[in-house]
Amino acid sequence: MSAATAHEHAEAHGGHDDHHEHHDPFWKKYIFSTDHKVIGIQYGFTSLVFLAFGFFLMMVMRWSIAYPDRAVPLLADWPWFQAWLDDGGKVTGDLYNMFGAMHGTIMVFLGIVPLAFGAFGNYVTPLQIGAPDMAFPRLNMASYWLYLLGGALMFVSFFLPSGAAKAGWTNYSPLATTTDLHYGDLFWTGQTQWLVAMALLISSSLLGAVNFICTIINLRCKGMTWMRLPFFVWAMLVTGFLLLLAFPPLEVAAIMQLMDRLAGTSFFVPSGLNVSGMAFDAAGGGSPLLYQHLFWFLAHPEVYVLILPAIAIVAEIIPCNTRKPLWGYKTMVYAVMVLGFLAFIVWAHHMYITGMGPAISTFFQTTTVLISVPSVILITSLLISMWGGSIRFNTPMLFATAFIPMFGIGGLTGLPLAFSLPDLHLHDTYYVIGHFHYVVAPGTIFALFAGIYHWYPKITGRMMSSKLGHLHFWPSLIFMNGIFSPMFFQGMAGFHRRAFDGGKAYEQISQQIFAEPNTFFANIAEMLHVIDADAPLRMIDLNLVTSGSAWLLAVFQVPFIINLFLSVFIGKKVSSDNPWNATTLEWATPTPPPHGNFAKEPVAYRGPYEYSVPGAPRDFTPQFETDPSLTAGSEHDSEPSEEIILSAH
Amino acid sequence: MADAHELTKTKKSFAAVGIALLVFTVVTVTIGLAPIFDFGPPGPDGMDFVLGLAVATVKASLVALIFMHLNHEKGLIYKILLFTVLFATGLMVLTLFADIDPIREQFDTLQTTRGWLTEKP
Amino acid sequence: MEIPYEVTPRRDTGLYNAKLGIWLFLASEVMLFGGLFSAYVFMRLGIQDGVDNPWPWGVSVHKNFVWLGAINTIVLIASSVGVVFAWVALKERNWRRYQIYMYFVVACAVVFMCIKTVEYNSKLNHHHGIKLVDNSVMEGTILNKTDRISFKGEKLTFSLNGALPAVLRDLEGDAFPKFKVTEGPEGTVGVEIQSLSQFKGWFADSRRAASERLTEERKRFRGELAGGAANPKPVSVVSSVTLTAAEPFGLSGSPRKIVAHTETALNYKDGVKVEGKLVNDDVLFEVHEVDLQLVLPTKQRDSVVWSVINDEHAKQQFFTSQSKKYQELLEYYKKHGGVIPEEQLRGRFLNVQYVHVAAEGHEGEHGKEDKHADVHTSQSNPTAGGGEGEGKHGPSKHIAVARDKIKFMGNHGPRYGTYYAIYFTMTALHGLHVIGGALVLLFFVVFGKKLYLKNPEHLANRVEVGGLFWHFVDLVWIFLFPIMYLL
Repeated sequence: MSAATAHEHAEAHGGHDDHHEHHDPFWKKYIFSTDHKVIGIQYGFTSLVFLAFGFFLMMVMRWSIAYPDRAVPLLADWPWFQAWLDDGGKVTGDLYNMFGAMHGTIMVFLGIVPLAFGAFGNYVTPLQIGAPDMAFPRLNMASYWLYLLGGALMFVSFFLPSGAAKAGWTNYSPLATTTDLHYGDLFWTGQTQWLVAMALLISSSLLGAVNFICTIINLRCKGMTWMRLPFFVWAMLVTGFLLLLAFPPLEVAAIMQLMDRLAGTSFFVPSGLNVSGMAFDAAGGGSPLLYQHLFWFLAHPEVYVLILPAIAIVAEIIPCNTRKPLWGYKTMVYAVMVLGFLAFIVWAHHMYITGMGPAISTFFQTTTVLISVPSVILITSLLISMWGGSIRFNTPMLFATAFIPMFGIGGLTGLPLAFSLPDLHLHDTYYVIGHFHYVVAPGTIFALFAGIYHWYPKITGRMMSSKLGHLHFWPSLIFMNGIFSPMFFQGMAGFHRRAFDGGKAYEQISQQIFAEPNTFFANIAEMLHVIDADAPLRMIDLNLVTSGSAWLLAVFQVPFIINLFLSVFIGKKVSSDNPWNATTLEWATPTPPPHGNFAKEPVAYRGPYEYSVPGAPRDFTPQFETDPSLTAGSEHDSEPSEEIILSAH
Repeated sequence: MADAHELTKTKKSFAAVGIALLVFTVVTVTIGLAPIFDFGPPGPDGMDFVLGLAVATVKASLVALIFMHLNHEKGLIYKILLFTVLFATGLMVLTLFADIDPIREQFDTLQTTRGWLTEKP
Repeated sequence: MEIPYEVTPRRDTGLYNAKLGIWLFLASEVMLFGGLFSAYVFMRLGIQDGVDNPWPWGVSVHKNFVWLGAINTIVLIASSVGVVFAWVALKERNWRRYQIYMYFVVACAVVFMCIKTVEYNSKLNHHHGIKLVDNSVMEGTILNKTDRISFKGEKLTFSLNGALPAVLRDLEGDAFPKFKVTEGPEGTVGVEIQSLSQFKGWFADSRRAASERLTEERKRFRGELAGGAANPKPVSVVSSVTLTAAEPFGLSGSPRKIVAHTETALNYKDGVKVEGKLVNDDVLFEVHEVDLQLVLPTKQRDSVVWSVINDEHAKQQFFTSQSKKYQELLEYYKKHGGVIPEEQLRGRFLNVQYVHVAAEGHEGEHGKEDKHADVHTSQSNPTAGGGEGEGKHGPSKHIAVARDKIKFMGNHGPRYGTYYAIYFTMTALHGLHVIGGALVLLFFVVFGKKLYLKNPEHLANRVEVGGLFWHFVDLVWIFLFPIMYLL
């Protein structure tokens, strides 16, 4: 650590002579970097890789659902799959469970949150507030490496004899506690490694959250008052608080479950538990419900961690491309704060069927319905922002525009789940899957694509191809809907999300017992519409629509990947530092921004979204430009006194 | 803080708090062990819990206010801590209420099993 | 490049970066321990009488440790005072005094951890309990680790698909038994294995070979299916092997890893079967205390525990003491005009009593007076261990408990019940915080001189921030001590 202190001084001096920076060895500049932009890019690449991997897992699962009686193509000869496919090369229940659990975990904790919060947050936030770097650059680096380590453990756990975790991404006890207990070395089982990896990821997020909040509160540049912060920064601040305060209870849950697995404690093991017909060897007296509470206390705010950065990215792109100010900026800021607050007291709406009493259910229903109000305010403000603008439909704007209805569908289909009565029917069906995937997949992921297309010129100095962008956008939009809209119908018909054969077993049973109507299975079969062979489209056939769309969606990500890598070399070079004619501070930096970001100390002279200001020479008036013709007429904006600059809200 | 007088004053208050904490520790142990705090029938006592936690809270506030000088800290930190404490309390209370629901308790079939002991030894 | 506000506070927020950072970190720590305290409350209040293990009454679990806990509280308070004085010393630019205070703080942390070790050691190695099939509980000490099943193995049967067999860890003695593969897939039969490393190598090779054979077979199977065969020959690959030892080898099997055992075989959880001969599976136990909280009062006299202890004197001792306490309760409630509430009747006060099972030949020493002495010790010192009372009562008899009478057993480690689980989790997590904090403070004093000479205010800030963390650790302990040790 004394070396680290010395390093810090070296770094402090390094900023003064550029000469020093050029001599940073490669590994220090690009691998163990403390520069928030490099770390942001590292986060970005790692999380994109994990997103692709998570998508791959899902495609295998979709095969099993669509064609439960056919061997998986291409994979049956891979050595790893030998242990997990059956003799005919079909997906087994174990494999489906493993992929299902890991798809959720990887997408949420290793894919989207790191991409939204880690990558965009890291790259953009300090630039937008005019800071030279994050408040704690080395902590920032540690945060990335902990994330990478956690991700690596998750990945490695696939190759353990036990395979990766299989108890769902929620890892509910006692199922998760009792899975894979027969392996000799309990530490190296997938289920245990999931917990260890989660502990690392949580630590990474905590470090990140502390860093973000600190940076936003303390490193705002001169003149950057609270109400001049771009909405993106506000969203990052609220997201930071969500991570900071919601993650520790999950860490507690992970520690307790780890103790349950390794030390044989009974935190989540109830008295008299039987596993496979045998009394489970533990003292008992614990509560599986406690785990669910601790888990959802994180996992509901986590939903907003997934959404808020997405809304924030869209809120940056829409004003820029409609050439109009963001409508209701202040309302949105207050809405996002209310949302952040309410996010902490809605968690048990995931647990209506655990036997919670009516009084507490009522409380959680009320807060859940309340939280839709700020969400609707945010989306409505974005929608109104577009009203009457002359919209530039470039690639980022296409994705941003699509985000609004997609997120809207996701949000509105959540309302029935907010009430305990319809939730009894819909719980654990494809309806739930459809609902949250609409929020996260065509919602958040579209916003993240939009962000990549939007900030790519700043990061690399070259534009991404617009043609490939269109080729990426339109099929993605179609197939995203092709995947998720059938799920609502299937879900309402009662399709269960964890059936690895997509309901095939019911069909077969129903054929055997067709002669006896009104039996249990016949009723279920009827409910699933699997009997009626004459129906034009049976519910179970929708499986094929969904799976087919999923594979085609994968195909149409290829243009994006090509675009992302090739544009670095052959993309059109940007002509200025501000190619989109945007107003926020990140466009004031040289392109790409150097270590230390700004060429001269930035000052914010006005609010973040001053587009088409009447009387201004151009249709945008950046935060960082002092404009004498404008300041004559307006109040105190040109050279604001210290007092005004520093007055924090 | 720089002036010497101020520092001497600070030192005195630190020492005083230290002594107060030691005294309260003795009080806590006494509450737990000494019979004078046994208000109810012989055997373990719920009252101890309330008293013990009250004393612990006083001690904790002393540490937070004086040692961690929250007493002259800026409002920002108060705001952060306020929300933190609010959410931590929410976690504790709501979790508990999910288990002991006032409406469900009236209909709880477990009630009958909970009171299964009727005979005396 | 210089990050602003590293040392001097920003004017509008009034904070330098590190201070804001540590307060945010402490906020997350509040949520961490908040979650743990929630778990504590949830589990303690969630106990269903007569179904779940009763929450042990803090003082009684910790009879020997209340004072250790109290001393630890004082140690931590002293260290907290030390940190603030160290900070003041830095503000006064007095390096020497700063050093003294900081080393004092670190020394306090070391003392704290030492005392903690004593506590843990005692719980883990000297206090055990056995719950019998009718939920009666005996507290005492398991002797010579005999909760393990002693077995003479001859044959090992296991599968080549899984991980290394867990049984390897239960082998007795240093010498690895000499094995010969007697059954298994072709190519492995007849191989002789002399050492553990050889075993591991052989296992890995055979596993790979088995997996390759499986791939081949499946390829053939799928090919036949695709070719339109109606009933292709099903895939069959031998992956189970049997190893026979040259001479019987000693095993002390951990009961946690064994599903079932008979006179001639042990079945491990991971599917490994050991054939041979059972040596002994009784558990040697020294009883200190009998706990009948989970047994109906009407059935207490016929409880399994009495047949296991097989000592009429001890049984009498229990019930004499119980009825005496019952009288006490009765008197109290008569005086205050009420009926004894259920929880009192079900509670620890009446249903947990110290008993002494005297070793052969010491029976005579116990007169009537002695019995009352027992009752008194049990009352003023309701005890889980009772180890120190032993001297007064002469040596105890070691009873052998048949394994089929045992429902659950273990030391007073985290496994033993939810109280122990949360006690160990919280104190261990707190201990980790103590260690971490002490290391950081140690770093500030050992390597701080350079920074002190360059910018003493920066060092003072660091110590303030480190101190804030340290006070938080103290603050957590202030709550942990009463809820874990006293109440």
